[in-house]
Amino acid sequence: MDYSKEIRDIAAKLFADGKIDVFVGYRMNGFDDNQVPVVITDPKEVSTLVFTEKSVFNLTNYLKTDHTRGKRVGLIVKGCDSRSLNLLLTESQVKRDRLYIIGIACEGVVDDKGVKMQNCTECIVPDAVVFDEMLGSPRGKKDYIVNADIRALAEKGLVERREYFEEIFENCIRCNACRHSCPLCYCAKCCIDQETASLYNGSNTASSAFHALMTWSLHLAGRCVDCRNCEKACPSHLPLHLLHKQNEKVIFENFQNHLAGVEEGERGAFYKYSLKDPDDFIM
Amino acid sequence: MARVGVFVCFCGANIADFVDVPTVVEEAKKIREVKFAVDYKYMCSDPGQQMIRDAIVQYRLTSIVVAACSPRMHEKTFRKALSDAGMNPYLLEVANIREHSSWVHQKDKKAATEKAGDLVRMAVAKSIANEQLHEISVPVTKRALVIGGGIAGIQAALDIADARIPVTLVERSPSIGGRMAQLDETFPTLDCSQCILTPKMVDVASHPYIELIPYSEVIELNGYVGNYKARIRKKASYVNFKSCTGCGACWQKCPVKVPNEYNMGIDKRKAIYTPFPQAVPNKPVIDAEHCTMLLKGKCGICAKFCEKGAIDFKMVDEVIEREIGAVVVATGYDLWDATPYEEYGVGRYKDIINSLEFERMVSANGPTGGLPIRPSDGKVPKSVVFIKCVGSRDKAKGIEFCSKICCMYTAKHAILLHHKVHDSRAYIFYMDIRAAGKGYEEFVNRAQVETGAVYLRGRVSKIYQKGDKLMVRGEDGNLGQEVEVEADLVVLATAIVPYKENPALARLLGISYDKYGYLSEAHPKLRPVETAKAGIFLAGCTQAPKDIPETVAQASACAAKVCGLFAGDTMKKDPMVSTVNKEFCSGCQNCVTVCPYQAIVTEDIPLGHGAKETRTVAKINEGVCQGCGSCVAICRSMAINLAGFTDPQIINEIVAI
Repeated sequence: MDYSKEIRDIAAKLFADGKIDVFVGYRMNGFDDNQVPVVITDPKEVSTLVFTEKSVFNLTNYLKTDHTRGKRVGLIVKGCDSRSLNLLLTESQVKRDRLYIIGIACEGVVDDKGVKMQNCTECIVPDAVVFDEMLGSPRGKKDYIVNADIRALAEKGLVERREYFEEIFENCIRCNACRHSCPLCYCAKCCIDQETASLYNGSNTASSAFHALMTWSLHLAGRCVDCRNCEKACPSHLPLHLLHKQNEKVIFENFQNHLAGVEEGERGAFYKYSLKDPDDFIM
Repeated sequence: MARVGVFVCFCGANIADFVDVPTVVEEAKKIREVKFAVDYKYMCSDPGQQMIRDAIVQYRLTSIVVAACSPRMHEKTFRKALSDAGMNPYLLEVANIREHSSWVHQKDKKAATEKAGDLVRMAVAKSIANEQLHEISVPVTKRALVIGGGIAGIQAALDIADARIPVTLVERSPSIGGRMAQLDETFPTLDCSQCILTPKMVDVASHPYIELIPYSEVIELNGYVGNYKARIRKKASYVNFKSCTGCGACWQKCPVKVPNEYNMGIDKRKAIYTPFPQAVPNKPVIDAEHCTMLLKGKCGICAKFCEKGAIDFKMVDEVIEREIGAVVVATGYDLWDATPYEEYGVGRYKDIINSLEFERMVSANGPTGGLPIRPSDGKVPKSVVFIKCVGSRDKAKGIEFCSKICCMYTAKHAILLHHKVHDSRAYIFYMDIRAAGKGYEEFVNRAQVETGAVYLRGRVSKIYQKGDKLMVRGEDGNLGQEVEVEADLVVLATAIVPYKENPALARLLGISYDKYGYLSEAHPKLRPVETAKAGIFLAGCTQAPKDIPETVAQASACAAKVCGLFAGDTMKKDPMVSTVNKEFCSGCQNCVTVCPYQAIVTEDIPLGHGAKETRTVAKINEGVCQGCGSCVAICRSMAINLAGFTDPQIINEIVAI
């Protein structure tokens, strides 16, 4: 999977036609064979753009920054990225007419050791679901499967599961990199930073980290698209996907097979009301 | 430093029998902020309230906790006590130790007492974070919308209009009058329905404060109590009412014949028609589904004969808007379709009719000139079997509820039958005779004694044809044996069900309805005419089966409610509404989708101080907001706060246990 040339051509044309102000893509990081996101405003820098199976990051995260706010943006999205973009559009965070979207029919990306990412091996929506132009041949939707991690989690009892997460989250240093790297964490002021939220306390204690991460995972429940930007950003290498995948499973099973961001205009599972919503738990 | 007063109520024995009230008081006294705690037999009584008022002054209290019954019951009472003592009423917290403790833990007094103590601790903790709140004033549009022009709608409209409040009365059919206009005589006095109804219909048409919009329906209602905006679709009548004189030349000449709804399909009307001679307004409309001119573009005879040129085949539906402050819903009832009663041969035998068809036959202005006949051969029946509870009180085939009016109208039918056909006999199969009402029992006795109606207690199991007669086989429970009655005509008192489009209307109005489609009142006993949505009221059979006196009483009650609502230029509203912290709002608009009251809109604010770029944030219309808190729960940014239930208040409560 190498669309570097196509993307350079498209970006150059977009700049030449005056259709965009900035382009968000990937370039080589300059010291090994891994890539970093780049926001290009100068058409001359188009030649640095690359796209290969090393293009791991979800670029829609950069739509919430000042680099792109209020500007016309060219953007590359893989299947998972396009789902988060769909949610950003639905949640009025970006305007569709300001975007030029290059969708990728994604064959999966690899981590910095060259191993295929876990989320790519179980990817449900490899093709971009929202785009202006598509690169690659579409591969179609796959069935949702519950992966081995989550099956293992289900075998643990509630107390055991809680202890497990408490132990893992002891390593959290409350740097909030997960939040900053998440395209869907765009709040003006995050609830865990607010003064009234005494539960999170702002301090770096095991209990505050636990509450903060649990709250974070619930705010992403039914919205998380499993792009794993958070995990890539976490300096403590916490298995954050466990929280999201667990929520994804519960929501898939209880909200009519809901998968975040797949349908255009569809809100997160908790933010819409349907007569078909299960209510058998109500006494 | 907060100074909290705690007042624990015995509620007679309701609380004291299962909760050790003095212990709860002692527990409350242990809380640091509690400066005064006391119990009393009836805290809601005047001496009880006086204790609160005195303590507020004596102990310089800053918030009050009353541990008693549900706040739904007496929150207002105690708030007023606080106001009277010069304290902001919203500094009150009610700990519900009756419904939440004593009533549900009657087997374990110790645990119930502990729980009551916890509830008091929570309320104290919450009350410490209570803020002074002030009632919201909302302006009022003084015009009422009445949906439905039956007796309920007519009565409500007249009563409201008599108080000099403008009313818009919307009726879906071409004339007002409703079901009552189809009745002959009414129980228990046998006065003529038309004679008492038609003058009221005329009053509606001529009342200076009533705007009558017939042949139309409400298609949209937006806004909130005091400030609704209704969109009403006036169906095309193809007749210009301004120039039409109601002479009737058009419908006399019209060649198309259609079953007449007013007469339950017993005879025919024309495609251009007035529903009945006493209709208000007395102007014809064209039934677009049957008019040859409208369907095929040929005919136009009515237009030819109309001297005033009032027929306009090009007329289209028109949508009009009205700003209103309150709504009275009076959509009435339909008859249940008795087809599931296969063993009766419903649909197979022509001589089985329903009560409303019988009512039309015996009506002086009915299709048979007031004489009951057999639909099969037109003969006058001598032996008539009436079957009650067809569909009603029948879980298996029909509906669980009692239709309430059938016992009385069937007795009436027996009397009317006797009046019209002197040598006839009525046989009435019944389950129970429900004749609770002024003069009702006497009326049923009259039917039994004067007319010789035979009342047979039991269900009918089968009806079959024998010659030109119908054989009705049933049980006489009083004799404990099977009976078989030879009938010329069988009349089914079919259940009454709500107007079929009630659920759609309820969704449009934003009010709730029950499993049968009846619109739901706010409280079955204490708020029987209000709905859960402020400013929308219910009258008549749209809420539950009712007879005419009850319907009229409820309609007048609606009028009283509307007048009360419009008594001032503004309305007072509880301040428990949400507010948006615009700084924190990220504009995701998830709150807009979860708000069940459409109380949240969006607004654009500058991106930064003095910036030209804008961003979109949520905005709450406090007039519409009912304080349910859905938006608060859904807001990830915690940008929405509900006054009276703020995060510090709730967190205090949680921390207290």
